[in-house]
Amino acid sequence: MDTHSFASLAHVRILLLPVGLIPQSLFESYASEIRTYTSLKLAEIPADTRDGKAARFLPNPMSTGYLHLSFPTHPPAQSQGPLSLLRPSIFPLAVVGIAACSQGDNLRSLHHQFNSNLEDIFPAGSTFPLVRNCFAFEETEGTVNLDTGESLPGLTIVPCIAKRKLHLGTLLGVLCSQILVEFGTLTQALESPVGNEYLNASLMPLPPPLSELPSPLNRGDSIPNISSHNSQPEVTRSSFTLGAAPTLKRMSTAPSTAPSRSNTLNVTVPSKKRLSTYGTSSSHGRLYKMLGDFFLLSGRSEDALICRAETRYNEAALVFRSANDPLWYASTCEGMATCSIIEAWSAGHGLNNSTTAVKEPWHDVSDRLTQAINLYQRTAAPESEPTHALFVFLYCSCVLRQSSLLFAVWSAKGWGPLAFTTMLQPGPRPFLPPTLTAGDRTNYLLLERLSTLTGISRSSIASCLGQLHGPWLLHLGQRERIAVLEVTASIYACIGYQRKEAYILREVLGCLLDLMVCGREEDGYTQTPNIPQSAGLGIHNVHPVAGVNWGTVGVRLSESTAGNESILKLLAYICRVLGIDLEAIGLSEATEARVVEHPPSLNKYDEDIVDELREPLGWPELQVGVVREAVAVAEALPDFPTVAQFALSSLKTLQTVLTPNDQYHLYATASRALLTSRRRGDPRAIEYWSGRPIVSISVAPLPTIRIPIEKPRSIRHKVLDPAPILQGIVDPFLYNPRRASDKGTSLVVQNEMLEFVITLQNPYIFDLELQEVSLSTSGVPFDSQPMRVVIPASTLHQVVISGKATETGVLTIRGCFVQAPGGIPREYILPLYTTEEEERLARKRRVILSESCRFKYPPLERHPWTQADKHKSIPNAEAAIGSAFKFLECKVVPEQPLLRIRRSSVTHGALMLYDGEKSIIRITLENVSSIPVDFLHLASEDSTIGPSQKALQEGNLSVFETYETEFNLIHRPVLTWDKDESKSIAPNQNLTLTLGCFGKVGCTNGVIHISYAYSQDPRLGDSGSFYLRQVSYPLMVTVYQMLECSAMDLLPFPAYPQVRRSADTESVNPKDERLRHLDISDDGWCLFSIEVRNSYGTPFDITLFRTQNGKEEASSTTTIPPGLVIPIRKIVLSDEAVSKIIPTLSEKQFVVATSNLTKVEEKAQRELFWYREELFKCVSARWHETGGTRSGELSFRAQRLTLPMLETFRLEIAQVSLSLEREDNEEEEREISYTGAKQYLKPNEFVQLRAKVMNLCSFPVVFTLDLEATPSEHLIYEGIFSELAIGRLQSGESKEISTTLCFLACGRFELSAKARGFGSSETEGRVARTHISAIVTED
Amino acid sequence: MSHHLFLLSPSDTPLYSLTHQSSKPVATITSPLASNLPTWSTSAFAGTLTALSGASSTTQHTSGGAVKVGGGQDRHVIQMIANASLDVIEDEMRKQNLMYFKSIDKFNEWTVSAFVTPSNMKFVLLHEGKNDDGIRLFFMEVWELYVKTAMNPFQTAHTAVRSSVFDTRVRNSARKYL
Repeated sequence: MDTHSFASLAHVRILLLPVGLIPQSLFESYASEIRTYTSLKLAEIPADTRDGKAARFLPNPMSTGYLHLSFPTHPPAQSQGPLSLLRPSIFPLAVVGIAACSQGDNLRSLHHQFNSNLEDIFPAGSTFPLVRNCFAFEETEGTVNLDTGESLPGLTIVPCIAKRKLHLGTLLGVLCSQILVEFGTLTQALESPVGNEYLNASLMPLPPPLSELPSPLNRGDSIPNISSHNSQPEVTRSSFTLGAAPTLKRMSTAPSTAPSRSNTLNVTVPSKKRLSTYGTSSSHGRLYKMLGDFFLLSGRSEDALICRAETRYNEAALVFRSANDPLWYASTCEGMATCSIIEAWSAGHGLNNSTTAVKEPWHDVSDRLTQAINLYQRTAAPESEPTHALFVFLYCSCVLRQSSLLFAVWSAKGWGPLAFTTMLQPGPRPFLPPTLTAGDRTNYLLLERLSTLTGISRSSIASCLGQLHGPWLLHLGQRERIAVLEVTASIYACIGYQRKEAYILREVLGCLLDLMVCGREEDGYTQTPNIPQSAGLGIHNVHPVAGVNWGTVGVRLSESTAGNESILKLLAYICRVLGIDLEAIGLSEATEARVVEHPPSLNKYDEDIVDELREPLGWPELQVGVVREAVAVAEALPDFPTVAQFALSSLKTLQTVLTPNDQYHLYATASRALLTSRRRGDPRAIEYWSGRPIVSISVAPLPTIRIPIEKPRSIRHKVLDPAPILQGIVDPFLYNPRRASDKGTSLVVQNEMLEFVITLQNPYIFDLELQEVSLSTSGVPFDSQPMRVVIPASTLHQVVISGKATETGVLTIRGCFVQAPGGIPREYILPLYTTEEEERLARKRRVILSESCRFKYPPLERHPWTQADKHKSIPNAEAAIGSAFKFLECKVVPEQPLLRIRRSSVTHGALMLYDGEKSIIRITLENVSSIPVDFLHLASEDSTIGPSQKALQEGNLSVFETYETEFNLIHRPVLTWDKDESKSIAPNQNLTLTLGCFGKVGCTNGVIHISYAYSQDPRLGDSGSFYLRQVSYPLMVTVYQMLECSAMDLLPFPAYPQVRRSADTESVNPKDERLRHLDISDDGWCLFSIEVRNSYGTPFDITLFRTQNGKEEASSTTTIPPGLVIPIRKIVLSDEAVSKIIPTLSEKQFVVATSNLTKVEEKAQRELFWYREELFKCVSARWHETGGTRSGELSFRAQRLTLPMLETFRLEIAQVSLSLEREDNEEEEREISYTGAKQYLKPNEFVQLRAKVMNLCSFPVVFTLDLEATPSEHLIYEGIFSELAIGRLQSGESKEISTTLCFLACGRFELSAKARGFGSSETEGRVARTHISAIVTED
Repeated sequence: MSHHLFLLSPSDTPLYSLTHQSSKPVATITSPLASNLPTWSTSAFAGTLTALSGASSTTQHTSGGAVKVGGGQDRHVIQMIANASLDVIEDEMRKQNLMYFKSIDKFNEWTVSAFVTPSNMKFVLLHEGKNDDGIRLFFMEVWELYVKTAMNPFQTAHTAVRSSVFDTRVRNSARKYL
């Protein structure tokens, strides 16, 4: 390819051509050996001065100039034929065939091949090449058995000797001298009047044909093979072809662009007509210019004035300035510019020091080129097509010349030897000065430094280069256009203008693919069915052609994939510049292996967060367009895995900006491509692409009967702790470390089905198909089947994966493996969102967000891939966290027994109870597993527990209420169970459990939890825990409240002996039967009474029981409604008993007495409490359904004990007894005492009133006694009656005092005594009373 | 004569774009080189090439199937040119302490003028004729309008400008100066 080197005008082109069966590598090595000669000293060129005239271009032996050589391997396009005089330097002046000759090779046949190849490449009659020669390289030394005697003209054997390179130099020198001789011949021809006329005949003249030359030229010497080649038979071309061949083919099919041979040959005909038009036959401008060109080529820039190229050019310029010949003038300007550079080079080359001029010398050169460009631009184009292409070619190469001048000076840090070398470099690849390396291209500082040093800004280079671009590029032939655009792109790249480079590269791609597609069409194989018509940019006219080939069998030709890779690389580069990473999704060998990273990579995990928060970058519309083009290009190649890669990468990176149509199209394309690639057996597969598909993984909750619960072994022997019942499940600790650690793990059972619920997401607008989703686990082996999932468009989707853990231990669920169809499985880890993890993610987000609105870097340097390089040091610090991820864990425990409830005695699970009723239910359990159960524990809950617990929690209850509530909870559970029942169930056996039920008002439902385990499991070993399972039996409970107690009362109950007497006689009456209990003779009793109301429809019998120490049990039965009474013995409780604080049954640790009662109040409250407790101990009631079987207990707990009742119930502090005695008569006395409370006395008699006070307290008390008698006016007494001091009495001690009194009248007298205690607070205000009646009669 | 205005965020994302057809006539100097263009093959890629090289005056294109862009100019190519000119703008704005860069770049038939705000927003205008003062005034007005829009607390440097008021005023201003 042409490299558009600056000094191409001064380069002598020698075309290297492979001849015979020479391997490419060998050809390349020989070619590179030849290419080391970039310049030849003129002194080294043999001056063959046979002919004075011919020696005109040959150098003097002493001359110091250089001949610059370049060695292309491609012949010029035939369409450029018309330029042969205007721009001789683009044609190869000589052809060197390179052949490898080994033993047995026929030199003659090689020679023939060479000639016939030449004939193919160059049209007959063309001026160039001037010299042709074939170098036959000997492969091994000493094989010179070739018959050198038969010397073939134009064939040179290059022996394989040590100094072969030197030898080659000599050969090239000879070749060059031949060229220079030919120059002379050609000039001679043109200098003749006929020649000059030819020269001026048209805009782009052709050299005169041989026949018309005036003087016979002895060309036979120098080109002896011309006459002979026609007779040579056509030799088949070797399989190794140079790029020229397809070009030729292409040309032949597009006749509009490429002229055929005949066209070129016939140009002479119109040129004759033009002769008169131009009328410049006398002008020698063009001749001078030609001479200048030849002198330039022959390196004669330093010679005497007459021979210098520059002089000739100046002469020509003088002529053209007046004459209207812009094309030639422009060409002359270019030549002059080249001249000055060559001169500068040779000057600098020898001295090797840069000249310090006042004005930068390149300005002149640049001005001259600007002039040339303007001239080219103004040239009026003739009508015919091929000249258009040539014009544009000249224009473009001129622009490139100027640009490369600026670029060379800029890149070489100024005007100096380096710049000249850059400009003169002829190689097949563009030469980059060492100041620019590939990595520096985006380094702003380095680039700017060059600008500052040289004074050439990058923008000036760019603007110069910008002139090149325009619609006229379409005129160029494909090959020239690609070459021009390539050079343009590379200059843009070098000055760091990446976006412009990308623009040009897109055009390059367009050219290349156009060639490819058209080339295929010529093969007779159309790709139309495979490539959608809408491919390409989508910005051109689309003519959807109905696929003719639809439904027909496509014939697949073997396609060469050479070069595909480079095209894809180019695409990826363009996209990167525009901010899309086409390789965001990798392409690698298809594998089914599941790669698990240890420790999990943090970057991979955070990738999605980073992506999600990434600021928009680049130009969305352009990106979409480019991406579409990229996919189309990859499809046209075709490279199916890459199609998928590109399509999916862009789906991933551009998801937010792609329209639904585009998304769908890309996805469809990718799927189709993947299918095709799999069908064709492509080993590559794409990585997983669609972002993080997993949102969450959770263990699906096991059915409750299967959940194992870990318990310490000690629980088996533990007494039931009431605390849980009272407090519910509420944890009293704000921070419970044990609970926190339990969070991540759940218990699962070995070999039982385990289900995981995986939430997947699909952010796209199409249904996303996942070929495989499976769990990524570590630890215990987990046996599960992957599943195929289709996630509906833009939704969250849940799937359940089930499996079994086959061993015991810890099962860690790291995440999921997902695999898209035709892709590689990828693991997505999903750590638990622990606090640290959340904190870390939040921090990451903050970092990204705080960066996102700061524009520290120019846009091109903000791409994620460039950023990655800059922030390399940071992730290392964070990488350690990766290992700290916590994952979902399951503890797999050994296989467990399983029970089920086979039957129960409760119909429909509903239980109907009366309030306080006690009944039993039976539940039959069946062991359905093969493991025995040896531990069984029942627990129950019911609907009354919750509200009570809540009330207790709130703590607003009084101490008394608290006690009641707690009592209810602990001592009156709805469901009870006998703990001593049989506890083991063998496999497949049944066990019936009996449970007690208690009717409690307000209970609506209850649950029986039966926990069981195989606690002696040998697999558990010595671990301190075992595993429980629970089976629950829910009950519906209905409790009817049919009996309502109210108005409990305690009444004083003095002894009434006469009642007993009457009861003795009539014992038939049931009412009297009840009253029998009231037959109590001695003191110290009180009467317990209660009202019971039956609010239910059926009658109930109620029995009141009394159980008191030392007294016989008594009961009183009645059929409700009437109330019930029973006498009970008064009691007194010791001070210690009474002063105890009201207990809390829960034994709570932190009960703080919150009451703010005074001491006295508190004491009273405690007394009330303890006496009530005592009362309920001795009185209980049971009910019985009249005529039925149901019975239960009647609770008085709702009743209150009031202070008067307390006073009644409690024994007095002292026992006071009064008696009256006649002083004189012993017998009477006895009689009196016999009558008891009533005494029959006579008036006006002195009687002794004895009052006996006995201290009933447990401590000594000081008593006073008040006596009273009514009516007091009818009796007299001795001493005082009130506040009689009795003194201190020890506990149980008694004292009697007696007073004499006399009744003055007959009648009934009431005598009463009140004993008061003093001395301690307990006794204060408590009075013991007694009274007697005295009936005073006369007889 | 058409104008294409792009407001680009600091990350090169267009926040607003406007195509304005000016009533002013333009003296289009077509290079003789660009005349008589050949029609190339009909392959899709040749179409791309044709469009990118700027030789699209002969054919009308629609991009995306719906939006028809006036002036026979392909929208995608216009955007490519505007995008490519950012290279020069970025280069120049680092070197020169200016806001208005007149005719900073030329590509195909387009001249590119740019205006860089202190917050690194770039206004890029593709125009054909020479109208330095008008463009400067136009840019100043657009800047003022943009600053007013940016004062909206919900407007960030990445949010597209969708305000209809902004749009109307920019259009008015374009009518006035371009």
